[in-house]
This record gives sequence, structure tokens and C-alpha cells, in this order.
Amino acid sequence: MSGVILPDRRYGLGLLDAWREINWPLIMLLTLIAGAGVATLYSVAGGSWSPWAANHILRYGIALMALFICGFVPLRYWLALAYPAYFFVLFLLVLVPFIGEVSMGAQRWIVLGPVRVQPSELMKVALILALARYYHGLEFKRVSNPIFLVPPLLLIAMPVVLIFKQPDLGTALMVAASGVAVILLAGLSWRVTIVGVIAAFVGAVTAIKMGLLKAYQIKRLTAFMDPESDPLGSGYHLTQSKIALGSGGLAGKGFMEGTQSQLQFLPEKHTDFIFTIFGEEFGFIGAMVLLALYFAVFITAANIAMQAKSHFGRLLAMGLAISFILYVLINTGMVMGLAPVVGVPLPLVSYGGTVMLTVMVSFGLVMSTWINRDQDTLRTASTVSSL
Amino acid sequence: MRLEPFDTQRHMVFSRRATVFGGGASLLFLGLGARLYQLQINEHDNYQALAEDNRFNQKIIMPLRGEIFDRFGKAVATSRQNFQVLMVPEDAGDVERVLREVADVLELDQKELARIRKDAARQRSFTPVSIADNISWDQFARLNFLAPRLPGLRSEVAATRDYPLGPSGAFVVGYVGAPNERDLDQAESEETRLLLRQPGFRIGRAGIERRFDEKLRGEAGSVTVQINAHGRVIEEYPNLADQPVQGQPIGLTIDAELQEQVSKILAATNDDANRNTDHHEMSASAVVMDVHSGDILVYASVPAFDPNEFNIGIKQSRWKELNESELKPMLNKPIGGAYPPGSTFKLITAIAAQEEGIEPSHKVTCRGSLWYGGVEFNCWKKEGHGRLDMRGAIKQSCDVYFWDLAQRIDIDKLAEVARRFGLGNIHDIGLGGQVAGTIPSREWKKKYYRSNPAQQTWFPGETLSVAIGQGAPTTTPLQLAVMTSRLATGREVHPRLVRYLDGQSQPIPDFAPLPMDLQELEVVRSGMDAVVNEWGTAARSRLEKPEWRMAGKTGTSQVRSLQYDPVTGRRLKNYELPWKERDHALFVSYAPYENPRYAVAVVVEHGSSGSGTAGPKARDIMRAVLTKDPAKIATYAPKPGDFKTVLDKRQKREG
Repeated sequence: MSGVILPDRRYGLGLLDAWREINWPLIMLLTLIAGAGVATLYSVAGGSWSPWAANHILRYGIALMALFICGFVPLRYWLALAYPAYFFVLFLLVLVPFIGEVSMGAQRWIVLGPVRVQPSELMKVALILALARYYHGLEFKRVSNPIFLVPPLLLIAMPVVLIFKQPDLGTALMVAASGVAVILLAGLSWRVTIVGVIAAFVGAVTAIKMGLLKAYQIKRLTAFMDPESDPLGSGYHLTQSKIALGSGGLAGKGFMEGTQSQLQFLPEKHTDFIFTIFGEEFGFIGAMVLLALYFAVFITAANIAMQAKSHFGRLLAMGLAISFILYVLINTGMVMGLAPVVGVPLPLVSYGGTVMLTVMVSFGLVMSTWINRDQDTLRTASTVSSL
Repeated sequence: MRLEPFDTQRHMVFSRRATVFGGGASLLFLGLGARLYQLQINEHDNYQALAEDNRFNQKIIMPLRGEIFDRFGKAVATSRQNFQVLMVPEDAGDVERVLREVADVLELDQKELARIRKDAARQRSFTPVSIADNISWDQFARLNFLAPRLPGLRSEVAATRDYPLGPSGAFVVGYVGAPNERDLDQAESEETRLLLRQPGFRIGRAGIERRFDEKLRGEAGSVTVQINAHGRVIEEYPNLADQPVQGQPIGLTIDAELQEQVSKILAATNDDANRNTDHHEMSASAVVMDVHSGDILVYASVPAFDPNEFNIGIKQSRWKELNESELKPMLNKPIGGAYPPGSTFKLITAIAAQEEGIEPSHKVTCRGSLWYGGVEFNCWKKEGHGRLDMRGAIKQSCDVYFWDLAQRIDIDKLAEVARRFGLGNIHDIGLGGQVAGTIPSREWKKKYYRSNPAQQTWFPGETLSVAIGQGAPTTTPLQLAVMTSRLATGREVHPRLVRYLDGQSQPIPDFAPLPMDLQELEVVRSGMDAVVNEWGTAARSRLEKPEWRMAGKTGTSQVRSLQYDPVTGRRLKNYELPWKERDHALFVSYAPYENPRYAVAVVVEHGSSGSGTAGPKARDIMRAVLTKDPAKIATYAPKPGDFKTVLDKRQKREG
């Protein structure tokens, strides 16, 4: 051998090589979606860059940089960082009740220097990281062993309980669902899964019986089934949302022509209900295009997961893809009256910095998985050479 | 690098499961697409309509109620400014503090305050809550003075119904009241229902207000407003306003000025003729008609309630007081009071007798009583009237003479003549609550005793009391006025109360001559002249000016059988009886005798004596009517623009 150690794709790449490996279609899809968000926010503000649209662009720019940075971090570092990151975010979650800010009747925010963050959003990524790390190091035959199911369940339960207490039922459920998805991807036997589902159902019923859910939470959960029963109460948002969507028709009312948004009929139209505005102004065609973009992002991320050779990367990318698409499905299902009205934002389109950052960081991790897709064991080159 | 066997296995499981997740997500996306298709394509029209509703709303602009005016254009029902106080809780901040201050000025009681708090709690905080209505100008001014210290307080001037005549117009004009649940149920359209629900909207409850409610109501206007989801008006579009149309004006035949004078005359107790009474308060009514047109110039009933009280909202205690008074202030006496006509009915008997072939020259000698069927019938004058012909019998109101006639007249003939002159009939003049009275006949008796066939036969002896207007027959003052008009003119005069309707003066009807030999009326007219002007029973009702020569007939109708002193057996005088047991006093008259123009009928409940109480009132009324001679004064018809009021523009002031 010449003594020159050629970079081996299986062990890691230099920055330049990493740049060459960037998955540009993914970046393009994400940017298109964020662009739809900017346009809608501009319209919602009555044709103004402030207060939302300009900020949205700025945040997307910063979040895109975060994506690149996260993407360039070798996947093996993420493996190493998984548990520390998880416990750091868990620590922030614990802090929320003490130093958190109250917003909309719930404590979700903490201030870290110049930025306000929602630790519950960060946890979406951190939990998937930690679970992927756990199963990466677990022999397959132990996956369905109940004893080895305890640590991942604890990893899920700790943040979920904390988020639920804020209270943020929607995010708690979503975080739990993403975590469970990773466990399933890791190969938990269906038998154990079914037992788990039954246990979860019994647990949920008990929680409701014991009054763990606040009245408004139950109302919001059930209102989508019959919004007309209380047109000015919890079903109100939904009724208005359906009117806005339905009145949009095939081609929509046109950019900035949505009457329902201009007249403030819609609540939280710049956050949770933004898809309604989009659907009102761009109609069935526009809404379907946006949904297709989201689906394309999911397929791209899933494809990356399938192509990754490391178990960590596969679980990480697929877990994040599922988490992402779960948000899209729940949010759009919610505004169309198919899912309960829980506070779930539409990724990249809803206004909100932490969500934007979380989503882009998670795609940074997916990007890292892509760039390092050929590494199977995620050991450093030196480790390999020592073998 | 060697791949562990478990690695391969877990990779395979992962790939399978990732595919399952991918497939699941794809299916869910398809579901979303289908739902979008349903909402945006299939149900688009439905949601489109809902979105329009969301954006625009119609705000009702209440129409002004039509004016009611008298024959000379004087308003008898109109709109006046209503000073209202409202509060916007959102702007008030400390609602309790504002309420405390306002309660001081307006003297609101706890019940009112509780109502305001309830309203405020129920509505959205930017919706004004009504605090008080119809407050005085003084209170209104004081509140406006305090306004800078009371945020959220708003004073408004709206229109409310006003009755300038007060009690004297009560029974003609009627009154309005807030719509109730039944009115809402009966409303024929949703729009009407919406209008009825407007705060402050009133509908006719009695009198002309009720009969012509739909004409007076007008048409609601509306203004398009843009609202947001909370119902808050963001913008009004005055250009898209549909202006309200005021209800049509209605002109009455009444002369408001005379109406008030007559009400005073009726209520007066210090009449010189009242020496036989104990100056009891009057419960009386009078109708004055123009015998040519049938116009009811005066329609008076005393005592009366004040319709303004009803509009504002009457207190329970006042309502009870009105309904329980023995003077019956709630009874519309000219059409709702049925009294035995007494001797005024002798005029009908005189005509019926002639039609049965008895000449006016027929003479009867009155010795103070008549024996019939073994019973002695006493004439009102115990000493007897001596030998009388028909004219003299009318002049003296001799009972014996008319009993003699009664024996020769069939009861059905008598009833037929009575109806020909308007007695026992409903005269539709636009007022509700009219009674027909009773004109006895064979058929009537059959009907009256329908459950007791033994009683259904008419006995000739019964005709005797009918012939002098006692017992079963009852008539209303309006019927008596119609009878007098027909006697005076020989024409089938119909009374009317409304002379301007649907934008035009109603034509004066050309009344047909009565279907009879008008010669028969001569003896009656001449007899009535003699009653007043030849020292007959109403000699003291004679009018001073020869050209005012008035013909009349007294009537005193028994309320119950005669009362006798238990010790001496003497018949008790009216003033010795409790008020409720005294005779009713009646008087019918027309003037001028030679060329009749006005007919007056007066009934004083328990007035004791037709000649002593009713006659002098009729005289005073006729004097007032002849002095003014309203038939000679041109009537008024509104010209376009006459009824634009200052309230067209709702004055709004921020308090």
C-alpha cells in the first residue's frame, strides 16, 4: 500500500466531500414548503411582511444553516451525542415549570439567552436520537424481550409526562407516537406491540377517569366529531376552518383574497390553522400540491433511511420522517375535521421559531445520515484501523 | 468488517416495517386528499354560502310607526324622542362603579340592577346593554354631565310612541305594546319575526293601533355590515342600506279638540242638574256623529286610562287599579257598554206602531197605570199624563201610551224596526271589543232559552217592557247615535272612524234612504223637538240660540227591579240607593232641528236620570259642537313629506 490512507466512505468524509454529498432535492422540497409558508403568512397579515412573513424567511435561513451544520456533523458524533442531547433537553423540560413562560394557558417556553425555546419541540428530535442510539446497540433477539423494553419506554415516558403537565396534550401524544414508531421500526414483535396498545388504551381511559385531562382538553379531543354541537365553543374553530376551506373551491379565492382570513374568522390562523388559509386562497389544487410536497419530503427521508447502512442512521432518519409526516397528517387532518383539535403546527408553514428549528435540525440529522449512508458500524477510522 | 447475523435480520425487519409505515402514510395522504375533495369540490357551494354569511350581516333599521291624526291634522298618535341609556361593558371597565353612579341618577332598584347584570353577563362584552328607557330629559342631561367619569356609558335617542291626547283618545287610538311570544309565533315571515325581536319595537294592542297595525308598522330597512367572527361590526356600508319606510298615516274622523272638551263635560260632576245625586264620579260615554257623512266626531268614554302608560310599561298595581275600579276605566263604553235603552227606545216603538197601522193621532188616556194580564203597570208619572196623542206621548215619555201601542205591535216587527235603525247591530268602525247588544224577538227568545223549551214562547205581555226599552233590550251608545242619525235624516247612515287610509281620503258615502215611508219619522222628530223645546222631559236641556234648536229624547233605564222603603213602602229615590244600583241615564239628540247635522248620544252609568244627568251633558256637548261646527271646517289630508319627522335620523351621541 502506498501508505496514503484514502478516505473510505465507510468511515467518514471530509467537509468538502460532505458538501458534494448534500441531498439537494430534499433541500429544495423543504425550501418550497417554507416558501408556501412565507406567502401564506404574508397574506394573513393583510399583505404585509410584518409581523410574520419576514421573520419566517429569516428563521428559515438560520434553520437552513443549522440543517447544514447538523448534516456535516459525522453521524458517529451524533451517535455519541445522542444520550447527552436527550438528557440535556430533558433537563430543560424539567426546568420549564420553574423558569418557563406562560403562553395560552400553558407553560412551554424557556428563555435561553436571546432566544425563547420550547423544550418540548426539541424533545421530538432528542427522543428519536436517544431511541435510535439505544436500538443501535441492542441485539435484535433482545428487542422484544420485555426487560429490554423498559429503558426505551422510560426514555419515552419521562418527557411525555413532563410535556403533558405543561399542559400540552398534543405535543405529548405526538412525542409518544414518534417514540413508539422507532420501537416498532427496531423490530418489536407484533405480539408485544398488541399487548402494549391494549395497555396504553387502558392507561388512557384511566387517565381520563382520574381527571388527569382538563375539561377543555377532552372537549377539544371530542369536538371534531360534532363541531356544530357547540358552534361558539370548542367546535367553533373547526366550523370556521371548514367554511374557509370549503369556500376556497377548486382553484381558491386567489392570493390574499381569502375572506375568512381577512375578517379574522379563523383563530390561530398564522399557526395551527394556517393550512386553512392556504386552502382557501389556493383551493383544492394548491392544497394538493402542498400535501404532495410534504409527501415527497417523507418519501425522500424514508429513502435515505432505507439506503443507510447503519442501524442508527436508518432508525434515526425513518423515525424523524415519521415524526415529520405525523405532524403534517395531524395538523391537516385537524383543520379538515378528521382529527381532534390539538395544538399541532404545520411544519415549516406555521409561524414559530422553535418548530422551524426542530424540523430543520431533524432534517440535518437526516442529511447526516444521507452523507454518511455508507458507514455501517459508525466507528471512527482509527478504531477501524486498529482492528 | 463482518456483518453480524443479527444485523442482517434487523435490517430486514426494519425495511419491512419502514415500508409498512410508508404505505400507511400514503393511505393517510390519500384520505386527506379525498377529504379535501369533499370539502372544496363537493360541498363547495354550501361552504361558499356560509362564508358569505360569515362576512356580511344585515342590521335592521326600524321603521317609524305611521302617524294617526284627527280630521284637522292634529296628531293623536305620533313618535317622540325616547332617551335611552346603554352601557358597553367592555368600555366601562369597572361595571359596578358605573352602575352605582347611574343607579343614583336613575333611581334604579335592585331588581333592575340584577336584570342589567344578567344581560351584561349573557352578551359579548362589546354589545351594549340597555340600562333604562324613557328617562326624563332632566335625568338624561344629568347623565350626560356625568359622562366623562363614566366610561362605556352611552346615551341614545330613539323613537317611541306618544299619545298627545292621553286618556281622552285612549279608546279610539288604542295603544302599543312589546310583542310577545304569541306575536312571534304568528309572524308570517322570518323577516317579520326579526323585526318583532328588535328591542323597542312595538305592535298595536288596542284600538286603531291594533286594527291597522300592519299599515302603521311600515317596512324595516337594513344596512349591510361586515362583521368578524365575534359578531363585532367592523364596517357599515351605508350605501348598501335599504332605507326603512315609515308606516302609512291614518286619518280619523275625530275632532281631537272636541273630543277633549266632551271628555271634560262627561267627567264633570258639579252640574246643576245633579241635585239628585251625591256628586259621585262619572262613568259615562258619548258619541257625536255628523249625520251626513257618518263621521264620528267625538268618541268619548270616561274615565279612561292613559295609553302612554301602556307603551312605557304599566306597573302591576296600576293595572290592577284600572281593572278593579267600579268606574270601569278599561271599558270601551261607546261600543263595549250595552245598556237598556230606556225611553229612547220609545222612538222605535212609535215607528213600529205606525207600520202596524196606528196613526200618530191615536189617543190614549194615561191615569198613571195600566192593567195587563192581572198586573198593574205603573207609568213613571203616578198622577198620569191624561189624554195624549203619539207626539205628546213622546214629549212626556208616557209609559202607558207605549204600553197601549205595545199590545198592538208584534215583537218581531218591533225588533225589525230597531235593527233598521241600527240597534242590535255591529257597526264596524275599526275598533275591537264591540258588543251587539240585545234586541228581543221570538227568535232571540228561542235561542236564549234553547236548553229550556218551556220558556221559548213569546208572551205578548213581554212586549210591554221592550216597548219602553226596559229589561231584555240593550244597546250601545254608538248604536243610539246611529239610530238618532237615521231618525234625523231618514237615511241609512253608517258610522265611520277612519277617513284617510292607504294614502287617500275615503269618499263620503251617499247613504240610501231607509226602506220605509219616511212620513212615519215626522211625528218622532216633532216629538223629540217637543221634548226639549216645548217643556217636555228635557226642557232644561234647551239650547239658547234659536238656530241651535235641538231635538232629543231622554232615557232612564233600570239596573234592577224597583226598590221600596221597608217601613213606609215608598219607592226609593235614586240618590237613596247605592251608586251601583241607580238607574242609567241616557239622552239622544240631534241638531239643528230644521236641518240636522249632528247627532249626540250620551249614556251616564248609574246617572239616575236621563233628564237630570244625561240631558244636560248632551246639551253642553251639542253646544260645544255647534259652536265649533266642525262639519263646516275643511278636513286635512297629508301632503307628501308632511310626516317626515325629526327622528328620521337616529341621533346618536357618545356618552
